[in-house]
Amino acid sequence: MATFKDAAEVYQCVGGFFKTVTDHPEMGEKIGASGLIIQFVYSEPDSIITVDAKNPPPKGSFFRIIEGPCDLKPDVKMTMTADIAHRFWFGKVNLVQALAKGDMKAQGPIPSILKLLPAIKPAYTLYPEYLKKIGKADKVI
Amino acid sequence: MLPEYFDYHIRSRVVAGPGVASALGNELRRFERKRAFIVTDKVVGQLGFLDRVKKSLADAELDLVGVFDEVPPNSEFGVVMRGAAACRAARGDILIAIGGGSVIDTAKGMNVVLSLGGDYIDYQGFGLIERQLGPLVAIPTTAGTGSEVTAYAVIRDDATKSKQTIVSNHLAADLAVLDPELTLSLPPSLTASTGLDALTHAVEAYLSTNWRPISDGIALHACGIIVRWLPVAVDDGANLEARYEMLVAACEAGMAFSSAMVGCVHALAHTLGGLYEVPHGLANAVLLAPGMEYNLPVAEARLADLARAFGLKPTGDQARDARAAIDFVRGLLPRVKLPTRLRDLKVPEGELALVAETACLDAAIYTNPREAVAEELLEVLKKVY
Ligand SMILES: [Fe+2]
Repeated sequence: MATFKDAAEVYQCVGGFFKTVTDHPEMGEKIGASGLIIQFVYSEPDSIITVDAKNPPPKGSFFRIIEGPCDLKPDVKMTMTADIAHRFWFGKVNLVQALAKGDMKAQGPIPSILKLLPAIKPAYTLYPEYLKKIGKADKVI
Repeated sequence: MLPEYFDYHIRSRVVAGPGVASALGNELRRFERKRAFIVTDKVVGQLGFLDRVKKSLADAELDLVGVFDEVPPNSEFGVVMRGAAACRAARGDILIAIGGGSVIDTAKGMNVVLSLGGDYIDYQGFGLIERQLGPLVAIPTTAGTGSEVTAYAVIRDDATKSKQTIVSNHLAADLAVLDPELTLSLPPSLTASTGLDALTHAVEAYLSTNWRPISDGIALHACGIIVRWLPVAVDDGANLEARYEMLVAACEAGMAFSSAMVGCVHALAHTLGGLYEVPHGLANAVLLAPGMEYNLPVAEARLADLARAFGLKPTGDQARDARAAIDFVRGLLPRVKLPTRLRDLKVPEGELALVAETACLDAAIYTNPREAVAEELLEVLKKVY
């Protein structure tokens, strides 16, 4: 069974989590400094989350999160199921293996994707904490 | 313990033997195509190799409708697009690449654009090519890259001064033709540097975090062949046996790293190629032993395996064997008359920090056994400068 019942739940859990990171002192700053537009295209359920670190962010944030389809042209597009995305934010997905298996597809310059990997490591502990906080402890793996 | 999951993919049919390039009639006929288009460079054109391949084309009743010989040593996105346009204009329906890694990678890129349309830059990434491309025959004229069988195309992007890698199992040639006669005229310096590229593929594939049992076996075998026959091929370029062994070992090394991937040595070499156009084989040659040494703290057992593959006698002391493997590679460079220091490659000393930082963003770094940190790589670079 899929982790998320509908797109709204993806936005609540994954999208909501991304939003908590927008003002994170280390992670937020590094993602903001990338200057990239990174789009996550999920299936099962279909949903899209775009990280916009290119255009000026809202005050107090390092970047902006857009849920659902948008007109921005991404520099990097990552395609996967929402389940894989969920597992990824627990640090439980080996990126190279997921790419080789076809569980994930990456479009755009690979170096800019890799550049962010070390930066997002704190997320692996923050994501479960966030899920518990919003009453979704059942989704912690 | 085996990896929890692994895949191993090889799509190329390999045919090998002295003179095989001019005897491809039956092989080519199987593709059921009519209009061959050759991708090559000026040097290969001058060496008369095209005539051998033309004989094969005639036997297969294939028309040669065009030759694109404008591939430079470090090919570029624009070259791929120009080559594709030339093939499209000539209505070629089977690509035949004859040359070194740059030529074969360019042909792979052309094949993507010709088969799927659009701009080459759109395919940057991983796993974006989801269907079979048009037929590609690759005839390497160096024993180095193994590109004829790998799932990669590494092409320079002039706009960002970086080497960009496209990864897809569909990229490898349908037919890889290993004819050692085509490598006989390779000068000693190129023989040595391309041979070290092949050795680096085998070594890094074996040390990779993405190792798998099948690539392990092929990588170790290639290591043994290369260290035995490379010095012979460098000393006596006309030695057909040495050329044959090297060409096959380079192809094996390609089969190993196509699935297992590489590591920090290639990440640094890609960076030096992108920033300063340092020839790929030379960069790998100078950095291979330092890269192995960098990985020593986390890869002692596998380095000791490499010592055995190199034909060194086990001492019963794993740490000593691992060291011996590194020293062996270091000693191989003067033996095949290659430079041993980065300063010999015209890398600006003041920019080593930039090199280290950029290498940490190269895709190859991701499967390096020791997590690479720019400050530590900088120390490696300084030591070998
Ligand atoms: Fe290489």
